[in-house]
Amino acid sequence: MVALSQMDEGGAPAIRPGDRRARARGLRAGLAVLLGFVMLVSLGWGAADDTRVLAAIGARLGLAEASLRDITIIWDIRMPRMVTAALVGASLAVAGAVMQGLFRNPLADPGLVGVSAGAGLGAVAAIVLGGFLPAALAAFTGAYLVSFAAFLGGWASVIVLYRIATRGGHTSVATMLLAGIALGALTGALTGFIVYRANDDQLRDLTFWGMGSVAGATWAKLVAAGPIIACALVAAPFLARGLDALSLGEPVAAHMGIHVQKLKRIAVLTVAASVGASVAITGGIGFVGIVVPHLLRLVQGPEHRTLLPNAALLGAILLLIADIISRTVVAPAELPIGIVTATLGGPFFLWILLRNRAILES
Amino acid sequence: MLKATGISVRFGASTVLEGVDFTASAGQITAIVGPNGSGKTTLLKVMTGEIPGQGSTHLNGSDIAALSPVDMARKRAVLPQAGNVAFPFTVLELVRLGLTSGLATNDADHLDHLPERALSRVGLDGFGGRYVQDLSGGERQRVQLARVLVQIWEPMLDGEPRWLFLDEPVSALDIGHQLIVMQIARDYARAGGGVVAVMHDLNLTAMFADRVTLLGEGRVRAEGRPAEVLTDHALSACYGCVLRTNTLPPAGGPWILPQATGIHP
Repeated sequence: MVALSQMDEGGAPAIRPGDRRARARGLRAGLAVLLGFVMLVSLGWGAADDTRVLAAIGARLGLAEASLRDITIIWDIRMPRMVTAALVGASLAVAGAVMQGLFRNPLADPGLVGVSAGAGLGAVAAIVLGGFLPAALAAFTGAYLVSFAAFLGGWASVIVLYRIATRGGHTSVATMLLAGIALGALTGALTGFIVYRANDDQLRDLTFWGMGSVAGATWAKLVAAGPIIACALVAAPFLARGLDALSLGEPVAAHMGIHVQKLKRIAVLTVAASVGASVAITGGIGFVGIVVPHLLRLVQGPEHRTLLPNAALLGAILLLIADIISRTVVAPAELPIGIVTATLGGPFFLWILLRNRAILES
Repeated sequence: MLKATGISVRFGASTVLEGVDFTASAGQITAIVGPNGSGKTTLLKVMTGEIPGQGSTHLNGSDIAALSPVDMARKRAVLPQAGNVAFPFTVLELVRLGLTSGLATNDADHLDHLPERALSRVGLDGFGGRYVQDLSGGERQRVQLARVLVQIWEPMLDGEPRWLFLDEPVSALDIGHQLIVMQIARDYARAGGGVVAVMHDLNLTAMFADRVTLLGEGRVRAEGRPAEVLTDHALSACYGCVLRTNTLPPAGGPWILPQATGIHP
């Protein structure tokens, strides 16, 4: 802060001490450019013949000529995977930021406190029990049913967690984390019970899906889950003002004109929708929700009006990079992306814990 | 005009407030005093809509039960007792949160400079870039006051007075800043706004309040001008110790001195 305001004494309009909005806007522009770049890399740009990649991208838009094979590889294989990684990354990061605002706690993360597990239970139930539906109906509802069930599971988890961890507008960190562990164990057990009833084909689906992967991304799955994620991403910025006020506590937020109950309901729905839909297509991918908002708060401050859009951008970038790593480190095989994010995110989470010791021990 | 009628609050088996009537007029500082546990803060919370209670509260003639959070935020702001801030806000960012609701104007330039003006008003010039979590308790209390002032900066809106509710506004402050904060409250009242303050310091109350309500065990024990309420008898009975009241020049207000020798039976 101090350094920044001193730097600015020279010319240009002075940056006000303590005002990090200009920095947040600059960061947003930088992240947007970086996202575009990473998206291109994810489609194969830089790894193979660049002009062929670009031509194939442009071909469907009528901007260039390319072979049918190139167009198919880019548009039907790489593109859905790239869009899935970006959308899920954005969605998990925003869900993390909203949940941290709701719980007034930088350690709340959908993956850590059992919300992803709850969504997972919903999805597994839909995959296995969906097998009992008449074939025609199952084919029709398939992907939608999984998304919706995951949303319901996530929603129920957030509500239970909030009821347990929050009393009189005050959220206990320890209670939240411990309740999250219990919730995760319970939903894990129920999930295991349902998996036990699954047939061989379903088991294969469940195993890969449980490790967290964008490898199975298809346009069909995206069509089922994408709109839910998009709704959550669009709704999130409208929560910004309320979440900022909530940082000062529920009574203060109410005094400042925030309809706190309504805010909490919408925040819970947003988290459940984005986590549920993400889990439905990619399985549980951890740590994006805690790493991204934390990094951003360090650089641009905690104001949600700038935090939420930037979290979406950085979340998309991080998951795209994690996907590129997962495809390349053990090529031609690939790692489930959840393993990559956990490898990177685990140590980072420990670092956050050390930084927040004071909060935890209070 | 703030008018609360028949306010009763029970927490489980214990009665915190019992049929309290309270009025405050715009243009004045109305202090609520009384010993620990007498229900001062609870009364303030009921009148600001934070907790429910029996009875009714009317703010400028409107029943607060019928007002939306935004309407309430336009009419009044509340300085709570110390509370924690969840994320690492800078002082400027925190004070700017006061600009969220019920603004009196859309003048962007005016609003843009309001946080700094409020900080200057509470004696925190140049603190905008500091992190709230690094400040002392007294500095934090004044940052919160600046935020509250930003919310209802103009003491009058649409011809109606706006209200400043202060819960122990000077409890963490040194004597110099106590006077600064009480003077801010007085200026707000003189400009047409209303101020209701829960106070512990009887001498500051005597010095700054226009009206005083003395609470004891959830009931109103006395109500009136400071000189009428802050008397030896009423205070000693209420606080359970011997308090001597003198009159000090030049203002002629009461001056309360505790007597170390006599704990009231």
